[in-house]
Amino acid sequence: MNRKKNALWHLPLMIIGIIALLPVVFMISNSFKTLQESYQSILSLIPNKPTTINYTTLNHQVNLARLAWNTFFMATLVTLGKLFTGLLAAYAFRYYQFKHKNLIYLLFVATIFVPFTIVMIPNYLVIAKLNLLNSVIGVALPQLCDATGIMIFLKTMEKIPGSLFDSLKIDDIPNRRIFFNIVLPILKPSIISVGAMFFINSWNEYVWPTLILKDKSSFTLPLALQNYISSEGGTNFPLAMALSSIMIVVPLIIYLIFQRYILNSISNSGLK
Amino acid sequence: MHNNKKILPFIYLLPTGILLTIFMVIPIIYTFYLSFFDWNLIAPTKDFVGMRNYIEVFTDPVNQKVLMNTFFYIILLLVLNFIVPYVISLIVKFFIKRMQGAYKIIFFIPSLFSLVVGAMIFSWLLNPVSGPVAFLFRESGFVLPNWTNSGGLAIVVICLITNWKVFGYNFILLLTGLGSIPKNIVDATTIDRIPKWRMIWNIVLPMNKSIAIYVLILTIVQGLQYVFTPINVITTGGPYYGSSNVLYHTYLNAFVLYKTGNASALAITTFLIFLVLLYLEIRFVEGRSRYE
Repeated sequence: MNRKKNALWHLPLMIIGIIALLPVVFMISNSFKTLQESYQSILSLIPNKPTTINYTTLNHQVNLARLAWNTFFMATLVTLGKLFTGLLAAYAFRYYQFKHKNLIYLLFVATIFVPFTIVMIPNYLVIAKLNLLNSVIGVALPQLCDATGIMIFLKTMEKIPGSLFDSLKIDDIPNRRIFFNIVLPILKPSIISVGAMFFINSWNEYVWPTLILKDKSSFTLPLALQNYISSEGGTNFPLAMALSSIMIVVPLIIYLIFQRYILNSISNSGLK
Repeated sequence: MHNNKKILPFIYLLPTGILLTIFMVIPIIYTFYLSFFDWNLIAPTKDFVGMRNYIEVFTDPVNQKVLMNTFFYIILLLVLNFIVPYVISLIVKFFIKRMQGAYKIIFFIPSLFSLVVGAMIFSWLLNPVSGPVAFLFRESGFVLPNWTNSGGLAIVVICLITNWKVFGYNFILLLTGLGSIPKNIVDATTIDRIPKWRMIWNIVLPMNKSIAIYVLILTIVQGLQYVFTPINVITTGGPYYGSSNVLYHTYLNAFVLYKTGNASALAITTFLIFLVLLYLEIRFVEGRSRYE
């Protein structure tokens, strides 16, 4: 009786699991179908005659290496920037007393609540003035700091007892050494997970890059994919799905390697 | 030495501070300034128009439509991205004993993918003519309504796409909150044979209030920005602004119609709404100030 009741509760969970995964399975499967087959056997998950034609066509139409490099380079810049600024800021909040500390912290947190529309026009003008339109550096530049990172790092640092820090200070151990020899090793798991999340989010980013990157040679993967989707319904879906399948490889690999770290850090970001 | 200690924290805060000043504080002020002018992003001169742009935010019929849509988006996002994951996290926490880890891992997977990918897959899945869902509907004697022709239905589809992406993320946040409720409280209610739904209603929900409010506010603030991508990819706000929201309409005014002043006034209005939400976040989530 009890077991049956338990199984009933699993039903909605399994349905959600299927909704989460099935679209991706369909996408990968369709990327190995010809356009004709994708229309004829619309529900089949395993292609009748698997073909790589979509991938070779794609390779002729766009410079995949270039797209991947642009995306990778932008995501790396953003990730390193956010980690650097976030770690420094969290360190200051954790180990120093200073005026208006609470207010400054709240101001940082408040940036999460700023809609991108309010900064997009001035930031676009600044990037244009700096001659960084059509450059992934222009996309990365306004995004080199992130309050979520500061919040999670601070949370982890709070697990290091303040007394440890005080005794090191009394012994006149320089900050550089405390930071590199003590704080960084303890923070390694959250740096990995927060870094992974920053990288994945930036890899997938769409809105701000569409404003800055207009020239096709400067495109990142999401922008290239958007070019394959037509709102009038003439999309060649197997082709778009091939490009999507290429795009999701990197986040999936990162997730497979760091899955436990990533899920833990999300948990930490919410706990106050 | 003592002097040094006073300056050091500010040096560490400097990189973040400079970036936020250049790319957030000054832009907010500048957008506020622009909202009082008529400008097209390019012309050398701007015409001062006073409050006209703000009056238009609330009187222009298209803007009114977009504001109503935004309200509809908020309601849908709350149901799909907050209430549903909350219910599911309660089931996973209190009603099943196995596979909790597996559900966490699986539900999170769509969060890894770009919303452009999600928009593409769902515009295929739900394509009213040639998609698999329309096919299944036909086979069983129904007709999938052509949602691209209806603003309301397009909004539902767009919200479903963002739900596909953020469901797992919100689910894990809420589940973590439930995990921090002391086990002995839960155990005590089982011993006393108090029904589970009463335990959840009377004990769990109030104890989990702060994280729930955090996710609720995040759902609105981030959700309204997330829907931008599927709107731009699938409907570009159509049919006739039917699926647009305040943020998308701001973008449209700024970078497609080149009505910078209108866009700025819309952006400031959005910001004011978000500020109210921020106030609630500080009030209920950050709680008593952290460093006193």
